[in-house]
Formats: sequence, C-alpha cells, structure tokens
Amino acid sequence: MNDGPLIVQSDKTLLLEVDHERADECRKAIAPFAELERAPEHVHTYRVTPLALWNARAAGHDAEQVVDTLIGFSRYPVPHALLVDVVETMARYGRLRLEKHPTHGLVLTSTDRAVLEEVLRSKKIQPLVGERIDAETVMVHPSERGNIKQVLLKLGWPADDLAGYVDGEHHAIALAEDGWTLRPYQKEAADAFWHGGSGVVVLPCGAGKTIVGAAAMAHAQATTLILVTNTVSAHQWKQELIKRTSLTADEIGEYTGTKKEIRPVTIATYQVMTTKRQGVYRHLELFDARDWGLVVYDEVHLLPAPIFRMTADLQARRRIGLTATLVREDGREGDVFSLIGPKRYDAPWKEMENQGWIAPADCVEVRVTLGDEERLAYAMSEAEERYRFCATTPSKNRVAEALVRRHAGEQVLVIGQYIDQLDELGEHLDAPVIKGETRVRERERLFQAFRDKEIQVLVVSKVANFSIDLPEASIAIQVSGTFGSRQEEAQRLGRVLRPKADGGGARFYSVVSRDTVDQDFAAHRQRFLAEQGYSYQIIDADEVLAEGEGDPAR
Amino acid sequence: MSGDFTAWLRGRADEQLRALVAARPELIMPVPPHIEGLAARAGTPSAIGRALDRLDRFSLSVVETLTLQPGPVAYPDLRAILARALPHGSRAEERRRGHALDAALRDAVDRLREACLIFGPDEALLPAPGVTEALDPPAGLGPPAADVFRHHPSEALTALLADIAPGDAPDPPVRRLAALLAESGTVERLVAEVSPQARAALDELAWGPPSGRVAGARREVRTATARSPIEELLARGLLGATGEETVALPREVALILRGGRLHRDLSPGPPQIDGVARDQALADRTAAGQAFAFVRTVEELCELWSHDPPGVLRAGGLAVRDLKRTAQLLDLPEWTAGLVVEVAHAAGLVASAGSVDGEWLPTSAYDVWRIKATEDRWALLASAWAGMDRAPGLIGERDERDRPINALHPDLRRSAASEVRLRTLSVLAAAGPGIAPTAASVIGRLAWEQPRRRVAQRDRLAEFALREAEHVGVTGLGVLSGHGRALLRAFPPYGSPYAAGQGGPAELLAPLLPEPVDRVLLQADLTAVAPGPLVSDLARWLALAADVESKGGATVYRFGEGSIRRALDAGQSADELLSLLERHSATPVPQPLRYLITDVARRHGRIRVGTASAYIRCDDPAVLDEVVADRRAAVLRLRRLAPTVLASKTSRATLVDALRAMGYAPVAESLEGDMLVARADARRTEGQPLARGGAAIAPDPDMVAAAVRAIRAGDDAHLARRGPTDAPRGQVPRSPSAATISALQEAIRQGTRVWIGYLDSQGHATSRILEPARMEGGYLTAYDETRAAVHRFALHRITGIADVN
Repeated sequence: MNDGPLIVQSDKTLLLEVDHERADECRKAIAPFAELERAPEHVHTYRVTPLALWNARAAGHDAEQVVDTLIGFSRYPVPHALLVDVVETMARYGRLRLEKHPTHGLVLTSTDRAVLEEVLRSKKIQPLVGERIDAETVMVHPSERGNIKQVLLKLGWPADDLAGYVDGEHHAIALAEDGWTLRPYQKEAADAFWHGGSGVVVLPCGAGKTIVGAAAMAHAQATTLILVTNTVSAHQWKQELIKRTSLTADEIGEYTGTKKEIRPVTIATYQVMTTKRQGVYRHLELFDARDWGLVVYDEVHLLPAPIFRMTADLQARRRIGLTATLVREDGREGDVFSLIGPKRYDAPWKEMENQGWIAPADCVEVRVTLGDEERLAYAMSEAEERYRFCATTPSKNRVAEALVRRHAGEQVLVIGQYIDQLDELGEHLDAPVIKGETRVRERERLFQAFRDKEIQVLVVSKVANFSIDLPEASIAIQVSGTFGSRQEEAQRLGRVLRPKADGGGARFYSVVSRDTVDQDFAAHRQRFLAEQGYSYQIIDADEVLAEGEGDPAR
Repeated sequence: MSGDFTAWLRGRADEQLRALVAARPELIMPVPPHIEGLAARAGTPSAIGRALDRLDRFSLSVVETLTLQPGPVAYPDLRAILARALPHGSRAEERRRGHALDAALRDAVDRLREACLIFGPDEALLPAPGVTEALDPPAGLGPPAADVFRHHPSEALTALLADIAPGDAPDPPVRRLAALLAESGTVERLVAEVSPQARAALDELAWGPPSGRVAGARREVRTATARSPIEELLARGLLGATGEETVALPREVALILRGGRLHRDLSPGPPQIDGVARDQALADRTAAGQAFAFVRTVEELCELWSHDPPGVLRAGGLAVRDLKRTAQLLDLPEWTAGLVVEVAHAAGLVASAGSVDGEWLPTSAYDVWRIKATEDRWALLASAWAGMDRAPGLIGERDERDRPINALHPDLRRSAASEVRLRTLSVLAAAGPGIAPTAASVIGRLAWEQPRRRVAQRDRLAEFALREAEHVGVTGLGVLSGHGRALLRAFPPYGSPYAAGQGGPAELLAPLLPEPVDRVLLQADLTAVAPGPLVSDLARWLALAADVESKGGATVYRFGEGSIRRALDAGQSADELLSLLERHSATPVPQPLRYLITDVARRHGRIRVGTASAYIRCDDPAVLDEVVADRRAAVLRLRRLAPTVLASKTSRATLVDALRAMGYAPVAESLEGDMLVARADARRTEGQPLARGGAAIAPDPDMVAAAVRAIRAGDDAHLARRGPTDAPRGQVPRSPSAATISALQEAIRQGTRVWIGYLDSQGHATSRILEPARMEGGYLTAYDETRAAVHRFALHRITGIADVN
C-alpha cells in the first residue's frame, strides 16, 4: 500500500490531504492538470477536466507524466478507467494544428489523417475551411482563425495555434521599478504568458494583476488595447500604469462612455464595446484603429458574449487574460480556452496568503433573530418581497452599528444591496454613502478620503463590487445582497483582502436574518468561503450587541 | 471393429476409465449400464463431436492423420507422417521442431487414447469407431474418388478412362478410376498434361476448400475437346462433378498434390502470445483499484434502482432510454453501464419484479451482499461475470431483424459467452505474470486451442472479454491480476487447480484494497472526508447524517440542513450527533458544523405530526374527562391532544357507535385533510434463482469414480447374463439403440446392406432392407430396397438392426 497524500476519486476529483508530509510536493505536481475546486482546511479538492488536461498539454506536460503523478502520489490504486480517460483526452490536444504555410497562408494540418477527415466532415467546420492542399493539410480563411478553434474545441479536438502573431505597432514601454519591484510570481506569470504566446493568468484578487498586465506590455513593446469591466476600473488602470511604467498620461487613452481617446495604450470598457445602436456595435472600429500588438482582458471570467465574438477576429494579435478564477457562471470556460488561450499561470490564494502577498481574512456570520411581529409579517409577505423584507430588518442596523463600534479606529466598509437600508445606515453611522447615482468624481473623492483615512467608515452599494482599490479597508460588513455568484463573492472578499500596511488580519462580517431566505443565501456564501480556505464562524447577534452595551466608550 | 474397441475398452484399467469419464463427462450422463454401453455411447456422433471440439489444432491433426490411413498405424510411422507436415527451415530449426513434435506427439497420443478417440497399443493405433465419420472430411480434403464419381454414368466414366489410361480391365469403371487416381505416377502425368491455369486451380483446391462452383458441371468433355482449364481437369478426372453446379477435387488427387503432407505448416505447440511486459505488482494494484470502483458502482446502481426503478420492457429487458439515464447517473459510458447492469443481474442483485408493469429492482440478495466485505462482494460479482452466458458487449447493437439489442433482454444470451470468456482469461493466465497480451494474439491462441468449434462471433466475444475483464478489475493494465488468476481457479477446466496455501480471489484482493478507517476529516465547508472506506457502522451513520458527494477511494460527505434533519428524524439527538462526530473526527469539529447541528435541532420537532383516523371534540373538557375515564373507552385507544380534543385510532363509524353505546349522543363530522403519509421504503423483489449457464463444470472426482464402479459392476453382470443374440427369424429385429448406431456406422463404412425394424409415421412396425449411405443430425439416409428409393429414417424410430444374411 502506498502512503501518498492523494486520493483519486472515480468522479475525476482528486483529494489532497494538506497535512501530509508530501502534500506540497504533490500540489506542485498536480497543479498543471487539475483545477483547484475547493480548499478548506484539511482536504483540498482538485478536479481533472478535459480543459485542465489540455491546459497541461499546452504547457508541455504529456499524458505519461500525468499518469505517473497520479499513480505516484495516490494512496489507493487509481481506477484504470480514469487513467485511460486521461491518456485519451490528452492525446486529443494538438492532434490538429493551425500553422502558417509559406504559400497558402493559414492552414489546418494534422499528422493523423483520420482526425482531419473526421473534423472536416463536420457541418460546422466546412464553411470555415478552404481548399484541401494535401492529405494532411487544409486551408483556413484567416478571418475564421478564432471560430475554427472554438468549433474544434467543441468537437473535442482542440487545435494548437502555432500560426504566430503580428508584432503590431512598436511602442516603447518599460517598467519603472522605483521603490518597488516585480514580485517573483508576477514575473513568472508575465514570462509564462510571453513564452506561451497568448493565454490566461489566474491570480487572486489583490495579488497585483494590473502589474502582471504592465509586465506583459513591457514584454510586447507595442501598442496595447486594454479591456476592463467599468469606468472606475479604467481610471485605476491608467493611474497604475502611469505609476508603474514609463508611460505618461498622454500616452494612455480612455475609451469610455464619456471619453473617446485613442492613444498608443488605450483602455476601453466592456460596456462601451458592447453598446449597440440600431443593432450595430458602434465602437468596433476601435479594434482596427491602431495596429495593436497586445490585447489585455481584465476579469476574463466576466467577459461578455459579444466581446468573445469580437475576440474571434483578433486571433493574430497577442492576448493576455487576467482573472481571479477560471470558473464562469455561464460555463463558457471553453471559449476562454480557445479564444484567449490556455491557462499560462496559476497560484492558489492560500499559497499567496502564506507568502504574505495578500492579507489573511476571517469570516464571521452574525445571525439576527427577527422579532415575533417581524416573523409574522415575513411569513405573510409575497415571495418576491421576502428577501428584501428579511434582509433589511432594522435589527441588522443595530448589529452593524455594534460591529462598527467594535472596530472603531479601523477602516470599515459597509456593503449592501438596498439603497434605503444603506441611506439609513449612513445616517446611523454618520458615514458617506456611495451608490449608483453618486458621480464618478465624488466617488473617487470619497475613495481617496477613505484611503487617506480621513473617512473611516464608508457605506457602499453593489456598484463598488468591481475593480476598485481600497487598500486600507480591513473590515467589511455585508448587510444585504444575495449570494449572486462565486465571482461576486470573490470580489467582495477582495475588498478586504488587500494587504494592509500593518499586516493585520482582515475580517469579513455578513449579517444574516435567522430562519429566512437570507440564511439560505448565507449558506452558499459560507460554503464558498470555507471552500476557499477561509476560517468561518457563526455567532448570534446577541453576542455582538451584549458586547456593545458593555462598552464603556458608549 | 467396434467389437475390438469394446474389448480394448474393457481391458482398460479403472484408473484409465476414470480419466476417460473425467475428460468426457457427457459419457456418464446418464451412467451407461455396462462397458458395451459406454463404448457405444463413446462412438455416438454427438459424443465424438464434443470430444473433437475440445481438441487443439495439433491433436486434431494427429487424429485426422490416423483416420486417413487405411489400417492400424505404428507410432513411429505416425510421427514420420506428421514430421513431413512441419514447416521447412534451417537444419537447427528443423531439429528443434522435431524435438517439439516428439514431446507434443507423445502427449497428444496419450491424451487422445485416454479420451478414447484413438485406441490400440502404440504398435497399432486406430481411430475409435465413429471418429472417421465425425471428421469427414478430414484436413480440408474432398471426398474420395469413389464417392465423387459414384453417380457418374458408366459410359461417361468409360470414355474418361479411355482418354487417360487406355486399355481393358475387368473392374467396374469407378473402382478403376479410383485406383488410377491413387497412383502418384498417373496423377503426376495427368497434372503435367494440363495448362498452367488449370494447374493453378488445382493447387488452390489442394489446400483450400476442395470444391468449387461451376456452371454446367456435368457437361460431357473429352481431353481432346477440353477448352477451359476446368474442362481440362474434368476430362482427366482430376476434378469430378458432385452436383449440377459443383465440382470437387478427389481426396486421392489432393493427397498427391499435397506431396505426402496432410497439413500445411503443422505446429506442435500453441502459437506464441505476444504482449507488453509490465510490473505485475502495479497491474495488481490497478486491477484492485478498478475492482473497488466496480463494486462501488454496482452498489450505486442498486441504491439508485431501489428508489427509482426502471420499467421492464414488454419484451423483457431495459429500455435504451433507461440505460442512457443510468449511465448518466453513474457517470459511465453506456457500454460500461450495460456491463454493470448485466453483472448485477447475473449476480442476482437485481431482478425484474411484477408481472404486468414490471420494474427492475434490487433483490433481497442485495441486502445480504451489501453488508459483506468489499473483497467478498467483488468475488461474487467477478464470478457471476465470468460464469454468465450473456454478452453485454452487444448491448446497443442491432439484431438480424434490425431491432436494438437491449440490456437485460433474453436475446443477449450467447451460449458460448462464458466459455469464450473463461478461455480468454486462461490464455491471459498462460501468458505468465506481468505480460499484457495483445488482443490479436489472444484471439489467435483461442483459434488454435479449439479449431473445430465454430463459435459465432468468437473473436468479438473474446474482445469483449478482454475489455470487460479490465473494467471488472480482473486484469490491470492488460495483465491478469493475482486475484483474477484465483478467480479462474474456481472454474476448474480453465484455471490451474488450487494448490495448498493459495488464497481465493477475495483473500488475494483484500490486502490490495484500501483498509477501512474509522476516522473522518471534518471541514468548515460542512464536508466530511473519509480518507478510505469506512468501517460499516460509521459508514451507515454518516450516510444517514450527511449526503455523499463524491465516491472513490475516499468518500466525501456533505452535511446540510436536510441531512441533519434526517438524522434527527431517525432518532438521534444533537448531542449524540456531536459526540459521534467528536469521537470519529481526527480534528476538532468546526464551529459552523457545530452551529448547524444545534440550529437544526433547535427547530426540530417543534411541530408534531401524527396520524389518527378519527377525533372527538367537545367544548366542555369535563365531558371528555368522563369519556377518557370510562373503562369501555379503553378499546378505542383515545389520546388527549388538547383539553377539548381526543384523537382515536379507530374509525369514525366505530367511534360513533361506541360513544352511542356508552350513552352519549355524538354527531359525525365530515373531515378534510385526513391524510396518511407513508413514505414507501426502498423496495425489493425475490429474484428468480439464476442458472449459471454455459461454462462446462467438470464432474468432481467422487462422481467419476462412482460412475466407473457402476459401469464395471453392470458390465460384469451383463457379460454373465447374455451373449450377443441375432434377430429371430421372421421377426422385426430389436437391438439396443447404441448397438444399432454402431452397426449402422459399420454398414456405411463397409457398404453392406442391413435389415432394420422401423416404426413408420403412423406407428406401425415395419421392416426394411437398406443400403445405408450416411448418418447425420439424428437421421439415416439410405437406399431402401423394399421401396426402391432413397429415404431418410429417423434414428430414434429404428427399433433394431440385423444382418441381411
């Protein structure tokens, strides 16, 4: 009997016992071909998916290595069926290749004629290919380079894209490492991307993805198009690039709802790119406005469908995707793989945290009990009103206040979904409220004040979820908000995960009404956070309130 | 000749007879009364056919060689004939082959003699009676010239003879032609005369099938007028017409053309098994991993079908849709799901229940199986798989009428399935430890082992067997595992028998399986990971209190409100749950889990639900006090739910009557929502006991010995009682059926006439004088002199036989 740290399950999940002495070694060995799914305290779960195996193949690992790793680390005999599956799946990648033919241009080739015949018989492939050159080669319309990769992936024969890239318009970009240096993993990530050609870098929130983007640009030395989720994020990118690179403000353009600047480095939002007028995407010309040498996609997991379609036409340009997670709610991981590229770098949150790059966080769920009258009203309310009712119960305000008192002197962020509730809280806590209608300028002013510790408590609505930078927030209190998606939760946690100057621990509170749908949403959150490896505790509101009353400061 | 055989057989030692019976168990089913009976039975076409089917290619060649010799053959002569058939090569190679032949021939002759397919001492070996007929045509040869030309008109034959060998002879033309064709000089001369195309055709017929189709085979041709190659051959008697459109190469000619060899490239030993060498220990481990997974899958299937059983199709079997769904739920490819379903069925773990709208349900045997140790569970499944006479690999294909073949359908039976499967495994076993033979070499070996058996789709069945063996966990990485080898031992003719100190499949598998653990790892995401199979108590308890999320070597359980409530419903308290968790957890119980349990328990049971079939309500509690206190009310089993409400288990009508009898004036109330909720338990069916099909089971030695004793005793009595008697003059002959058949065989061989008693289709006893021609499929074809026509006679209606003279 082998005494390995790994247990291979028949459903293709891998269980890694983290306290085992060979756990670290094993983690490194399986990381290339298995996606980390859950990382609670004792046993981490990895999943071997076809995409993960193809990612590994793209990174140069072969099936034999994978099988050896599984057998070598596995505590129990590995089911044969699984090994066969691994070998077969991996053998599928790269059987077809997209190459640049000296005379015919873009071609699809294969050394395995049967596979080529099989895919060419597919009705979806036929319109994408041109003339057959010989038994093993067929021409591909250059404009269909992305589409054919998408279709081939769906057919289960992902193509290896070796057709290369255009260099794009040269533009000198250098990192300005004055007073800071590229962290080792950031350098590794940028290098891995550059050697791979195109692909996705997976780094946790707060690990400095922007800097990886900047490092990639320094590699490319070319004009760059950066696609980000929203305007605030666009500003952030601009400031960060000015600070970290040799680029000046004049060289960086913003292409958003209000400004339409096209400069050597242009930052556009997904929203602008996907705006349609009279059924046509109005800003498509941006892609052709310059001879871009690099396209950066921020938050790849949120990439909307139209951008995928546009990306399919950008296959000749180098692409880098930045994200905290490859998991997409819509299951389009395959499109990310085929259109942006395979995963080039990945580091688990916990490991980064252990290395001190991101702050550790404690998660605490506070359960408030509805009063008898509230319970009756809750039971009688309409189904669609229920969540709002229990999420905005006044009892929560008292708890939130008590929590803010508990953490007096620390930077506290209160997050909620309902504006009424937020306004009320703002009043009670005497804190500014940032919501959808707050102007960008005002928003940035408040953020800056928060950063400068002029303001210690900030109440924000959902709009603050994405890509804002609040380096000094150490406490987040969520009073309402459904467990929308895993990313939303990751973002929310990202708010407080930013490393703080004093290196202190961050804490994430969520205030939940007991015995209501609120609690059901909280259960999802609990699961997600615990799976990410954060410590999670549930306490009763009474504990918090009692402590508040005993506080002499009051 | 059959008398010689009987005498020889009688002279065999008891030990030799036991060996005979052990090798051919069908001879003692039922036990024959005496040696004569045994000899007669050993000579019946079906018994001989079975015995010949068991022979490998070399032994069969030995028998064929003997049958082709005119009389007894001495051992050295037999060897000399066979040696000619060895492939040519360098001297060293030939010497090596010669040695191999010596060893193989000695062994083959002894075994054939033991099985009574040949008899006599080494100095004069003879095929046993009936063997020659059963092997007809031997070694791919055509019929003898006498048969080929028997029905040719004598004028045509005379003309033919005049062409090829002018001159006069007193013999009838057929006999003369046969004699001529047996002379190698004549044949060589004739062959030299024909065109190269004709010679090529001859060469093809010599080793290939000895007959061919030609339009107008009976045409008249002379050497002078022959135009086509076929005509050249026909005109010289090198080919003869056997029908309107068929021609055959006479056996004598073929033998000469083959240059004195009966077989081409005779191989004294089985063909080499090619394969990849692997680490046996790794193969064992891999097989064990798969075995474990397979057992889990079967359990999962049964659990699935306990609650959601698929229907039985009207024609029997499992619908394609249901198989697809099952495959999906088990997360398996369809063929594997089909295999799992079939094996579970063969092991008696699932069966159809209900006659009209039947369902496939786990049987009560499943409940017994479920609580056994994993290795025992596997052993049961694996032996069910090895012994089942069904071919799961065919599921999803279409039958000859283009209907899909369904899982669990009777049509999936293939009588040879089990035999081919076990043979395939025994080939794997023969390959030796650590060798993963290629499919092609396994199939080649199977064909060598039993060349005569025509098993439909044997090659496919063997391929299925290899694929299934891997999945069941009998082989790992293509290598037969230790426990797989032990499994084969349970099927005696195929595996080597048990030796002292060798474990059974379960014992060998056990150490390779994950050891049961009594510890789980509890985590804050409300999961519990059992890093191995759990001891059964804990496993059952966890299955109650948590939902299984992932299976394999380890099991991942998830606690949720629903599962905790389920445990509380089953009578556990929150404290019990927590203390159990603390006892079995390797780490402290995470706070969220502790909170979850107490939180669910806090709300559990706050609302109580019960069943009552009737109630009594009364605004005045004092009246109800009175009712409860009344002794006569004891039988009503009243229960006070509230001061003004009583609940009863009796029916409303009974309650009303009883209250009236007690002197009250109750009024019946109409009821709404009077519900009886009973959740159906997982259901079970009593499956039919399953007959293990296919695999020949060797008789045990005690039975063999007893049978031989009985035959000997019967024989002594038989010899003492009566000598052979002839039919009384003028009466319809009567003789034992075995004797009848041997006498008929003799008559066919000699070409003599016989007198038989025959029951016609109306049941009248008649007697006929026949010239028997051939005997097959339970019928005798003969020329009936009494009716002057060729007729077929059912053997079972022939009451007896006597010589005409």
